[in-house]
Amino acid sequence: MGKPDAGLDKERRAFIKKVLNGTVAGSLLLVIPMPIGAATPEIKEQIPGIRGKKWDMAHKRFAFIVDITLCIGCGSCCVADRLEYNVPAGYYRTWVERYLKDFNDNVYVDSPNGGFDGYQTPRADIDVEVRDTFFVPKLCNMCKEPPCVQVCPVGATFKTPDGFILVDAARCVGCAYCIQACPYSSRYLDPFTRTAEKCTWCYHRVRKGLLPICVNVCPTKARKFGDLNDKNSEVYKLLHEHEVLTVLKKDMGTYPALYYKGLRREVV
Amino acid sequence: MKSTYNSHIKRIVLGLVVFAVLGFVGKIVMTPKSFGKYGPYRADAIDEEANREIRHGTNASCLSCHPNEANMHLTGLHKTISCEFCHGPYADHIKDGKVYGKLPVKTKEEIKVLCLRCHNRAIQARPGEVIKTVIMPEHLEKQKVKVSHTCDQCHQVHAPLKHINRAKEIVGAKEKIDG
Repeated sequence: MGKPDAGLDKERRAFIKKVLNGTVAGSLLLVIPMPIGAATPEIKEQIPGIRGKKWDMAHKRFAFIVDITLCIGCGSCCVADRLEYNVPAGYYRTWVERYLKDFNDNVYVDSPNGGFDGYQTPRADIDVEVRDTFFVPKLCNMCKEPPCVQVCPVGATFKTPDGFILVDAARCVGCAYCIQACPYSSRYLDPFTRTAEKCTWCYHRVRKGLLPICVNVCPTKARKFGDLNDKNSEVYKLLHEHEVLTVLKKDMGTYPALYYKGLRREVV
Repeated sequence: MKSTYNSHIKRIVLGLVVFAVLGFVGKIVMTPKSFGKYGPYRADAIDEEANREIRHGTNASCLSCHPNEANMHLTGLHKTISCEFCHGPYADHIKDGKVYGKLPVKTKEEIKVLCLRCHNRAIQARPGEVIKTVIMPEHLEKQKVKVSHTCDQCHQVHAPLKHINRAKEIVGAKEKIDG
């Protein structure tokens, strides 16, 4: 009986060691305050130069570029966005519009369920010969002069020093002024929390070095996101090359940080 | 207070002082902590938003535990498609590094619906150089299979041309579809 007992003892020792290590490590984790991003070591960094560094509020510049020549209207972005934030049905932080132009240059726009179910069938309600048709994904424009921030009476919508427009759910009273003020219709009043929610360009992911979820899931890389301080980032290169990049509703004076590549003039 | 020639002024001054003190105390009590650090808003809300739960991982986080799928997915034409688009978010599957829930695997008609979200040529807005599209019953007729076939009967969903190219290798067909 000597041998099996010895084996058992060893196992026991190893087990106790493991448990002790686990407890010590666990309690240390509780004691040491975790910097943002340390909690997600299993996911590889997608935006270089963010993890392990102090977040420099004042010197961050991000840009979003949507290449509508690549968008195939699959709605991956809409699905992922809804699941990332548990957005209630019928409300959209991001959506995809379908534009049709006939030979008389009439423009027809639709967006059934915000593109969440994808575009499975051609438009049945109009009977015209289609000359040009394309998809336009929409999301928050992250204006440099945001009208929604200006109208908020309680300081619930604000522009962070790093350029994101965020919503403080604890302060928002649900007056919906921002919803009226936003020229891009990218805000909605959550029916359950009564908070005027909006797309945040996945601020929580960006702070941890991950791409916004819609950029991450886009199969054709029609959505691009990056740091303008990083000269190797795709958005930096696109913005500094001779590309046709446009913003929506330039005349509103909002100076969006969201650019569209290959956008037609019909898009509003 | 006995009425004197300046008692009304005293009352007004006292009232103003009380008003100012109340206002001052009220402002201190009612202004949220960290309000005004960067601007007229609660600066703590930035960190609250930054600490929101991450519900989606990346393909790398899924494939690190699923080597068989990784082999197929990363070599096929579908390598840019997000795992989580078809299967659901990472957070519904893994919690604190442990398996927490089972993610659905799409079958038959659901697969067809998923495929046609991208590959349906009836939606003219899809540029041919970006994606290969088909017209549905026509494609099945052309390939001489039953119209009731679902896409995954020929196309491995993770690497759509894997089985087709393998079959061609076996029968010794010369032409191989690249994409």
